[in-house]
Amino acid sequence: MEDVQVVAMLVRRCIAGDAAAWEEIVQTYNRRIYNICYRFAGSSDDAQDLTQEVFIKMYRTLPSYDHSKGAFVTWVTTITRNLLVDHFRKTKQDRMTDSMDTTASDHEDAQPLSEQIPDRSAPPDARVRSREVSETVHAALSKISPELREAVILRDLQDMDYREIAAVLKVPEGTVKSRINRGRAELARLLQRTYRQVM
Amino acid sequence: MPDHTSNGMQCNEFDVLLTDALDGVLSGSQLDRFQAHAQTCKACGPLLAEAEAGRSWLKGLTEVEPPANLVANILASTTGVDTQRLRATAPQHQPHISWLEHVRALLLEPVWATVRQPRFAMSFGMAFFALSVGLTVAGVKPSDIKAIDLRPAAVRRAYYNAHARVVRYVDNARAVYELQAALRGIKRNLAPAEPAPKPKDHKNDTTQQPEQKQERNYSQTGEQLILARARLGPSVFDSSNPDLPVVSVTTYRRFL
Repeated sequence: MEDVQVVAMLVRRCIAGDAAAWEEIVQTYNRRIYNICYRFAGSSDDAQDLTQEVFIKMYRTLPSYDHSKGAFVTWVTTITRNLLVDHFRKTKQDRMTDSMDTTASDHEDAQPLSEQIPDRSAPPDARVRSREVSETVHAALSKISPELREAVILRDLQDMDYREIAAVLKVPEGTVKSRINRGRAELARLLQRTYRQVM
Repeated sequence: MPDHTSNGMQCNEFDVLLTDALDGVLSGSQLDRFQAHAQTCKACGPLLAEAEAGRSWLKGLTEVEPPANLVANILASTTGVDTQRLRATAPQHQPHISWLEHVRALLLEPVWATVRQPRFAMSFGMAFFALSVGLTVAGVKPSDIKAIDLRPAAVRRAYYNAHARVVRYVDNARAVYELQAALRGIKRNLAPAEPAPKPKDHKNDTTQQPEQKQERNYSQTGEQLILARARLGPSVFDSSNPDLPVVSVTTYRRFL
């Protein structure tokens, strides 16, 4: 994805105070980081704030990057993931994502999380249907547990290989693969349940 | 996940190979064993189907476009510089500006801008006209100013000349004052003595309250005759002349 030498030179220029080099880094990676944040946090506003936080942290810790230890994109993704974990802990979303089949509240009449996903009946227009399917999948993705969510986002949405994901998540590759499988399966169960109710 | 063996493969091994199978990297006997286990295992079969479905759902998601101002906000929050504005001005060539043009831009341009105002121009014209009239009335001509010698020797000579004129003027004035004083003394000696004025009767005069009050404050009043001698110089009076002018002086003493 990236030429190591080019990125290393870019980072050195940036550390030396070259504003153009920093702007090039921002231009190159803002889309990727924004998408990771958007898929993980679920909202555009949160994703925008988190993306800015990621770049602020990158800007401050750029001299600590060592290209011999790993690719720059892995380093960037690790920073993003760590900030997402911090954000998740602060927003206390883990109570909502422990299980897809448990209710979000203690009330007996409360619906399961799978039933809280909005009903997306098939509209006549295929483009609108495609957009609404994407929104449904996005909403379902935000409902699965964060450990599984980050794994499937990095694999299926960011096309990172298992070794890179293992480096970012700091877990073995076997654990990464297991989380990806469980994440995909949980997402599928949730969506199948949703569409079964619609049909 | 239950850990049991089916078709020579454990469920843990199936779980590890599941991602590779979905990625399409399994082949040969390993793929056969994987498929056989999926068909016979009640837990792993549905897992394969769900994982495959979930993967396809996720692959259907497309990248979202970041907000248009995201890059600008990031650059502003990190470097604090509006790089879009800098980029817009960067290609423009900055011409070389000499120090003379800097001085002219910093000093002369503001002054010239002020001078060009009609109000300032009218004031300056009136001041010049008043100065011209004043110099003309005083008799100052441009040719006189032109003839002024500003060499140090000439300036020093002009200073000494002016100083000598002032000294001579003061000496002449002193002689005139001494002569005037001598003439006043002669007149006073030749004139008859005047009778002393009678004191006014303030007995029935009620309008002189301030004077009476002043007398009460100054308790004793007396008249003394003082013989004064004016030094008039040898050319006017002889020092052996006993006729000295008589001066009448009234003094008031205050007793505490």
